[in-house]
Formats: sequence, structure tokens, C-alpha cells
Amino acid sequence: MVLIIYGFPASTCTRTVAAVCKEIGLEYKLVLVPFPEVKSAENLARNPFGQVPTIDDDGFELFESRAICKYLAAKYGKHTTLIPTSQDLQEWAIFESAVNFEQHQFDEYARNIAIEKLFTPYVPQQPNEERLTKLFATLESKLEAYDKILSKRKWLAGENITLADLFHLPFAYMLETKVGSDVLQKRPNVARWWNELVGRPSWQAVKDGA
Amino acid sequence: MPPKPVKLYGSPMSTCTRRVAMVFRELDVPYELVPIDFSKREHKAIAHMARQPFGQVPVIDDNGFLLYESRAIGRYLAAKHTPNTLVPPQSDLKAWARFEQAASIETANFDPYASGLAYERVFGPAKGESTDEKRVQTLLQTLDAKLDAYETILGNSTYLAGEEFTLADLFHLPYGAFVTERVGFDVLTDPKRPNVVRWWKAISSRPAWLAVKDGA
Repeated sequence: MVLIIYGFPASTCTRTVAAVCKEIGLEYKLVLVPFPEVKSAENLARNPFGQVPTIDDDGFELFESRAICKYLAAKYGKHTTLIPTSQDLQEWAIFESAVNFEQHQFDEYARNIAIEKLFTPYVPQQPNEERLTKLFATLESKLEAYDKILSKRKWLAGENITLADLFHLPFAYMLETKVGSDVLQKRPNVARWWNELVGRPSWQAVKDGA
Repeated sequence: MPPKPVKLYGSPMSTCTRRVAMVFRELDVPYELVPIDFSKREHKAIAHMARQPFGQVPVIDDNGFLLYESRAIGRYLAAKHTPNTLVPPQSDLKAWARFEQAASIETANFDPYASGLAYERVFGPAKGESTDEKRVQTLLQTLDAKLDAYETILGNSTYLAGEEFTLADLFHLPYGAFVTERVGFDVLTDPKRPNVVRWWKAISSRPAWLAVKDGA
């Protein structure tokens, strides 16, 4: 049975899962849950947080895009470098460190910038410019750290690409293309890493819709 | 030569340092707390930035192996000392996936709101910033709604990943306790959510938490 992804094409987290499927060469079927229906009884039964994506892998349902990606990589992606395939404690630790700092040092700020700049206008409020300035300032300081890390490694967890790198894609892409920020191009190692990441065929295939 | 105790660079009351300290206690593994003095901006000084490029705590030094991000440290320690407890083995792929789902729930659906409340009401003002009460209300309402989902999940299993306590539950402790006790919101103890109340009571009364809640 082909993997089912419940989500909608523009959803950031749905596109992350789709990109990982492309990296692995795993076929999937997108079953549409349009944004206005994420809190429907049907979707809440799949995901009590009323979010997308959820997957159905031959009857096994899972939500939270990063958990989904780890599961798919572990089950179907052993031929890739997306997740450590050995039991090496330090390799796993460095991978998990990178997965964590993607969420806490990057996503926290990139996502809130996107919300403030792009999503806020859809509810009756103007973007809070003071908050945006602070968020950008913090993100810049985080990217200073990224530049240091990437001066010593090709990818965030070592010499090979992993899920930790891929998880950055949707919000980083949004920052560059929809918010119009050049923050990812200003530092040499970050720019090298980002330009290679965003150019990957797996992302190019889903960047405008899972 | 026997290995030296792991060094834990952090500060005693730092939420993330206490998250790691709790894991050490759960595993009964000794550690040496090496205080980083925030009042002297030691966390942004060259020596510490060399350990942790974001200039934050905690960091561990396990006999030369440096690691940062508290949840990654917790996972590493669990894998090293008690494989298959605190984190299900990947050989049971579905159990492991459910753990990863629960761990992601904490990071994406709890931490931003709980830590946001901690910042607006305590950490920001400590730096001289004023509290944005509108943001506090938004964060509180969001956290409350998220915990309704927890109530559903915890109606089906004792802990977030299943019947066993895992790191996914543990990771909630420092900010959960902070929001309840320091900020003073009752989202985790509100009787309208009996499953959440049961779960919070169980995890917050664990000896490993009680040993570190007032200092790593």
C-alpha cells in the first residue's frame, strides 16, 4: 500500500515530509486536508492537535513532521545518509544536536518572522515591526553560530547531508522568497550550505507544493 | 584509568541545565556541575563560545566529547547508560516512532508557549524588558488549547509515548514547573483535564526531578 500523507500542498511541514520522501525515492499519495479543515472532527481524530501532516503507513498512523521523517528515514532510507545507520553513540548525538538546534535556534525565529510578516496580515492585525526587528536580530546572531559550525563541517551533522539540514527547508525558503530576506546569503559558509541545500532536486520537486 | 565524571557546564537554576541534570539522576550517573556565570557574561566569553557556538548552556564534556542542546544530551546519556529505557530501541520501529512523535510534541506544541510565558513574565523583566501582556494572553490561550490535545492522548496511554515513562515526558519538567510555580498559571493542574493532572503529578513527583528542581 502506498504511503499516505494527509496534508495540503502549501503546508510547510507537509512539504518537509514530501521532500524527505523524494530524497529516499519513496512514493507517496497526498490526501488533501485543506487548511480550513485541519480542526475538523475527521482530522482531529488523526491528530489531536488539529495539524498536518499525518501519515498512514500501511495502517500505522503518525504525526509531527520531524518524527515522521525520522521514521521514514529509519524504515525506508537506510541507503541514504539522512539518519545515522550505525549504533555509534557520538554520531547519533551530533545528529540529534543538529536536529535540536534546527528547532530551537533557527525554526523558532524563522517561523515567527514568517508568521509576523506573512500570516499576520490574514488576521486583522498589522505586523509588529518592533517584534520583527528583534526576531531578525536574534536570527542573525544564530546564523553567526551556524557560520562557525559550517566552517568546520560540510553539513550540520558532519560530512553528509542529514534530516537536520532538510528540516530547515520550508521556513528558510519562505524567508528568502516570500519575506525577501538575504539573511542566508550574508555569511560565506551559511550561503554555501544553504545554496546547496535549496538546490537539491528533492526540494525543487516540492517547493511549490507537496 | 577509569573515566572521569561527565562535566556539565551550566547554571544551577537554568531550566535546560536542570533538564540534563534530571536525566543524570534518572540514570544514576554522576556528573560535575561546572558553573557558567551569566552575571559576568561568561556564556558569551571566548572559552565558552568555543564549547557552544550559540553561547548557551548546558554543554557536556564526556571525557573529551563535547555535546550541546539539552535534549540531545539527554538522548546521548540514555543511549550510553541504559539503552532501551527512557527511549525505546529503534528495533521496535513503531514504539520508537511513537516516542519521536511524543518528543516532537514537547518541542513543537509545549516548549515555545511555556518558555515564551517564562520569558515574558520572568526572564525578560529580569533584563529590564517590559512584559507584553497581550502576548502572555495569546501564549496562555494557545498552551491551554494544546493541553486539550494532551488530555486526549493521555486518555489513551499513561505517558506520552505509551505505557512507559520516556524522555518525551521528562523534557517537559523544567518549563512545566516554571509555568506552574514561578509564573503561576494552572494549565497543568486544572481539574478540567484530569488525565493531564494525573500525568503531571506523576512526572513532577519523580525523585530525579525533586533532586534537581531547586538546583542542578
